Amino acid sequence: MTEALFGGINYMAAKKGLDACVERQRALAANIANLETPGYRRLEVSHTFQQSLQDAVRRQDGDAIASLRPRASVDSQATAKSPDGNTVNLTDELMAIQENGLEHGLHVQLINGKMSRLRAAISGRMS
Amino acid sequence: MNLIPGAVSASRGLQAEQLRMEVISQNVANARTTRTAAGGPYQRQAVRFSEALGEALSGPMTGSSVNGALTSAEIVTDSRPPVRVHQPGHPDADSEGYVSYPAINVHEEMADLISASRTYEANLAVIRNGRALAQQALSIGRRG
Repeated sequence: MTEALFGGINYMAAKKGLDACVERQRALAANIANLETPGYRRLEVSHTFQQSLQDAVRRQDGDAIASLRPRASVDSQATAKSPDGNTVNLTDELMAIQENGLEHGLHVQLINGKMSRLRAAISGRMS
Repeated sequence: MNLIPGAVSASRGLQAEQLRMEVISQNVANARTTRTAAGGPYQRQAVRFSEALGEALSGPMTGSSVNGALTSAEIVTDSRPPVRVHQPGHPDADSEGYVSYPAINVHEEMADLISASRTYEANLAVIRNGRALAQQALSIGRRG
């Protein structure tokens, strides 16, 4: 029964987006911790996850959204700017962390909005 | 318990940078040390960073795919030969009157120190951001 309440496509997509943000935060933390590690190659949450999520939302396919798992992998596009082969750029990582924080906040707001609308519908009054 | 995403990596990064700062201060303090317990002048120490496998970050407990991404730091001895200076009156001078001083360049150490402290700050920023994320997540379902 509660599936009807929480099974909305956008709501599920927001939850997956939240998962992706947490995973990305872990990847970015690992990148910054390895700022000085020679030969370290930066991690990122793969673009294919974002693409599959978008496609699934477009198709309104709840099962596809539920089966998606954000995963961090080595960023093969990043090029090393230092001679030791490390592909981490501090400025880019700090920018990405700020963006990630905002995106996380957006997903949290979407989920909270859904919750408060549900609460209003159940109780019959706006809280 | 892994409430703050990325806190494990960031704290390992903090530890590694702290070790680096301690080694740098030891190098600067011993820049003119000509006699050590091991004999001979002080040998410059360096910190080597390497990627360590982190079981704590991956696996079924957290479901995270970020593994092998902890940084680990170990102290290694720099193999630069000592600098020989002609000082016949020095108690550690050899038979030709030369004293061996450690090959430590204070400018290089200071540049390293700045780099270490910037990286330390970057890791702190990661923890601050992770904390903000956790706070946002805890606000889910809060009324008002």
